[in-house]
Amino acid sequence: MSRLAGLAVEEQDGAVVARVTGEIDLSNAATLERSMLDAVPNTAAGMVVDLTSVSYLDSAGIRMLGEMAERLRWREQRLAVVAPEGSRVRGVLTMAGARDVVAFEDSFDAALRTVVGEG
Amino acid sequence: MDANRGNGTAGNVRPEDDTRRRTLRTIGGFALLAGVYGLAAFFSLRLALVEENITPLWPPTGIAVAVLLLFGTRWWPGIAIGALAVNLPITESPFAAVITAVGNTLAPLLTVWILRRARFRTELDRPRDVVVLLFAALSSMLLSATIGAASLVLSDQLASGEFWTSWSVWWAGDSMGVLVVAPFLLVAWNRAHHRYLPPRRLELLELFVVLAVLAGVALFAVTADVSLLFVALPFVGWASWRFEQSGAAPAALLVSSAATWAAVGDRGPFQGTDLVDRMITLLGFNATVAFTAFFLAALVSERARSREALERGAADLEARVQRRTTELSDANQRLAAQIAERREAESKLRRSERQLAEAHEVAGIGAWEWDLASGEVSWSEEMFRIHGVEPGAFPVTFDKAIGFVAEADRARIRRTTEVALEQRRADVPDVDYRIELPDGRTKHLHARARFSLADDGTPVRMFGTVQDVTERHEFEREHRIADTLQRSLLPSSFPEMDGVLIAARYMPAELGVAAGGDWYDVIALGGERVVLVIGDVAGHGLDAASLMGQLRTAVRAYALEGHSPTVVAERTDALMHEVAEDEMATILLVALDVEARAATIVSAGHPPPIALGPGGARLLDMELAPPLGFGPHARFGASTTSLETGEMVLLYTDGLIDRHDLAIDEGLRRLIAAAEANRDADPEELCDRILGAMVSGDVSDDIALLAVCLTPTPPGDLRLRIPAEPDALSEMRRRLARWLDAAGVPADVQGDVVLASSEAAANSIRHAYGPSKAWVELEAAISNDEVQVVVRDRGRWRPPRGRGGRGLFVIEACMGSVEIDRGGSGTEVRMRRPVRTKVAP
Repeated sequence: MSRLAGLAVEEQDGAVVARVTGEIDLSNAATLERSMLDAVPNTAAGMVVDLTSVSYLDSAGIRMLGEMAERLRWREQRLAVVAPEGSRVRGVLTMAGARDVVAFEDSFDAALRTVVGEG
Repeated sequence: MDANRGNGTAGNVRPEDDTRRRTLRTIGGFALLAGVYGLAAFFSLRLALVEENITPLWPPTGIAVAVLLLFGTRWWPGIAIGALAVNLPITESPFAAVITAVGNTLAPLLTVWILRRARFRTELDRPRDVVVLLFAALSSMLLSATIGAASLVLSDQLASGEFWTSWSVWWAGDSMGVLVVAPFLLVAWNRAHHRYLPPRRLELLELFVVLAVLAGVALFAVTADVSLLFVALPFVGWASWRFEQSGAAPAALLVSSAATWAAVGDRGPFQGTDLVDRMITLLGFNATVAFTAFFLAALVSERARSREALERGAADLEARVQRRTTELSDANQRLAAQIAERREAESKLRRSERQLAEAHEVAGIGAWEWDLASGEVSWSEEMFRIHGVEPGAFPVTFDKAIGFVAEADRARIRRTTEVALEQRRADVPDVDYRIELPDGRTKHLHARARFSLADDGTPVRMFGTVQDVTERHEFEREHRIADTLQRSLLPSSFPEMDGVLIAARYMPAELGVAAGGDWYDVIALGGERVVLVIGDVAGHGLDAASLMGQLRTAVRAYALEGHSPTVVAERTDALMHEVAEDEMATILLVALDVEARAATIVSAGHPPPIALGPGGARLLDMELAPPLGFGPHARFGASTTSLETGEMVLLYTDGLIDRHDLAIDEGLRRLIAAAEANRDADPEELCDRILGAMVSGDVSDDIALLAVCLTPTPPGDLRLRIPAEPDALSEMRRRLARWLDAAGVPADVQGDVVLASSEAAANSIRHAYGPSKAWVELEAAISNDEVQVVVRDRGRWRPPRGRGGRGLFVIEACMGSVEIDRGGSGTEVRMRRPVRTKVAP
C-alpha cells in the first residue's frame, strides 16, 4: 500500500469490492494492482474497483486497470470500475479511451451487476 | 238709498239692465224719502198751531237736511214729492200747496248749500260745526217760513193779520226740525257707521239712565206752574259731556220735544202767553238747548281728539326716543367693538413687529428703506446693530450708508444701485459686500433690495434687507480649508502591488457640519505585505483634519519600521496622548500577507472590516479595544483570518453606517446587503455602488471607504527540479497546482495541465537510466492567455512501445499543443494550453 492511495476490500454478492482513495500514479500503481488482485479468490465472480474517491488517475492507473482486467479475464473473472459521470477520474478514462481495456460504470450497483451478472 | 252701492255689481250686467236698475232704485229712493217725509209730517201736524199746516216742530225739514247732507242733494225730488203730498190735502188752494212745497224743498237745499260752503262735518265733533248749523238753520228757514206764510195769505187761507204769527211758528218749527232732528239723525247715522269712538262698557245703560232722569226732569219742568225749563239744562249738559254727540242728540230731542209739547198745549211755563211770545220763548229755549248740547259735545270731542293727538304724539315721541336710544346703543356697541378690534389689531401689529424685530435680531437681518424723492433713509434697529452702532445713533443718508461699505466693494455697490435705478425694474439682483465697522472689524453682508415703482414706472422707494453672513463666510472658509487639507493629507495614489487591487472614496460632510477627520492609508511593506489603515478623528473642522494628518503620518512611520499592527496601535495611542490630549480617534489596521492570504486585524474602537467573496459577505473577527486617546496604556489585541483568492476586504468609517435616520445595526445590515449585491464588481465599482446604495441626500458625517481585492497573483515562472523517481511526482503535481491556482487558472484546466505535466514527468522517470541520480525539470509560465509547461530530463525517451503510448496520448488530449524535442542530452516536452485567467493586468 502506498502513502498516496488507500484501499479497502470487501466481498459482496460473490464479488470482491475494492474501494480506492487518493491518487494513483506511476509510484503506486503496481503495488495497488497486486494488492487488489491478491484480494480476489478463485471462487469470486470478479471484482468491482470503486474509484469514486480517487482524486488523481493517470495513464499508469489506466494501464493498471487494463492489466488487472486481462489477468482476471484469464481467470474467467470479470472486472468493473466505478467512475461516476462528471468525476475527474471518469474524465481521464474517457479521454484516454480506456473503454476498450476496462468496463466502467456510473454507479456501484451497475458495476456489481456487470461483475456478478444479473442472469 | 245709497247711490254708490250699485257700482260694485256692474260686472257682468248689461248696461241697459244696470241703468234700469239704477233708475228703479232712484225712484224707489224718492218714494221712500217721500213716504218718510210724509209720515213725519203726519205726526207733527197733530201739533199744528196755525190752521192745519203750521207746527212749532217740523221734523220733516230736519229729515230733509239730514238726507241731503248724507246722501246728496240729488234726492231733493223725494222731498218735493213728500212736501207736496203733505200740503195738498191741508191747503185750500193747490197753487198754494205747490208754492209751500217749493219752499219746503228749497229751504233744506239752502241749508245744505250753506253747510257745505262752511265745510260742515256731519259728525258734529267740532264747535264750529254746531255754530254753522245754528246759523244755517235759522237763516235758511226764513225762506220756507216766508214762502209758506205768504202762500197761505195769498191764497186767502190766512188773514193777512195772521201773517207774522204764522211766519214765526213756521220759522220756529222748521228751525227746530233742523236744529234738533237733523243732528239726531246725523249722529245716529254716524254712530251706526262707527264714525265715533266705540261705546264704552255699560255706556248705553248709563245713557238710558241719564235720559230717563232727563225725561223725568223735563216732564216736571214743563208741567210746573212756574218757569223751570232751565232745570233740564244741567242734565242735557251731563249727557253731552258724558256721551258727546251720542248723548247730546237724544237729550236735545227729548227736551225740545217736551218744551214744544208744553208750548203747544199752553202748559206749564207757556201758560197765559200769546202765541208769538210762546213761539219766541220756545224757539229760544230749543235753540239754546240744541246749541248747548251739541256745542258742549263738540267741545268734549275736540278736547278728546286733541288729548288723543297729544297722547299719540307723546307715544310717538316716546317710540321715536326709544328707537333712537336703541340706535344709539347699537351704534355705541359697534363703535366699542370697532375700538376693541382696532386695539387688538394694534396690539397684534405691535406683537408681530416685536417678533419681526426679534427674528431679525436672531437672524442678523437689518431692514432699510430709501425714499428716493426726499433722499431720506431709514434703518431698522438691527440695521444699526449690524453696522456696529447704537440704534438711531445718527440720521441715515445714502452717502452715510455707503460710507460703511468696504473700500474695495464701494464702487461696485454704487454701480449696482445706479444700474438698478436706470433699469427701473422692481427686483434688484442680490449682492454680497463687506462693511467696515467703526471698531475696525469687517463684516460680510448679503443684501436684497426691491423698488417701489409709481404708476409710470418711476422708482419711488427702494427698500430691502441685509443679512450678516460673516459667520457663514468664515465657516465656509474654514470648511474649504479643512476640506482641502483633508484631501491633501489623503493618499492620492496607492502602491502598485501584484495581486492587490485597491480603491478608496472620501466624502466630506455637507457644508454646515464641517469637514471631518476621516482618513485611510495603504502602506506597502514589501515582501507581499501591505497594511490597510482607516481611521476617524472625533470632531470636525480644521483641528480634526490636522490631527488626522498627524495620526496618519505616525501610523505610516511605525508600520514602515516593521512593527506589528498591535504595536503600531499602541505607539500611535501613546503619541496621541502626547500631542492631542482629550482627543479621540478610532483606527482599524489590517495587515495583509498577500501571498499567504492572511489578514491580521487590530481595531481601536473601529467597526469591523467586511470580507466579500463568491460565497457572500462576512464580518471579520477582531478583538475589541477602545479608541485611541481613550485612556492610558490601552492594549490592542490582534486576530488573524485567512482570505480566499478573489475575496475583497472592505474598510469604512461609521459615517457610512451610523446615520441620523438609521440605527447602526440597520446601517451595517444594509452595508452587507449592498456589498453582497455587488460582489462581482471590481473595487472601484464596488465603492461607487456602495456609496450609491448607502448615501442619499445630505451627508451628515464624513465617510471614508477602502476596498482591497486579493487578486490571483500573476505569478512568476515556476521552476521545479524533482528527482527522477515516481514518488516525487505527487509533490510536483501539488506545487504545480498551487502555482496554477495562484495564476488564476480555472480548476478544470488546472486538472488537465497537472495531468499532462505529470504524464510527461512520469515518462521521463520511467525512461531514465543510469546509476547516477537523475532529475526531471519542470518550468511553467503563464502569458498571452496560455499556460506553457516544459518538462525536461537528462535521458532519452525510449521509443513508444505497446501501451506505453497511452501517456503521450493523454498529454496530447489534455494540452492544446505538444512538442517533443529529443535532443542528445535528453528529452524536452513543451506543452501549451490556452486559458482565460482571472489575473489582473
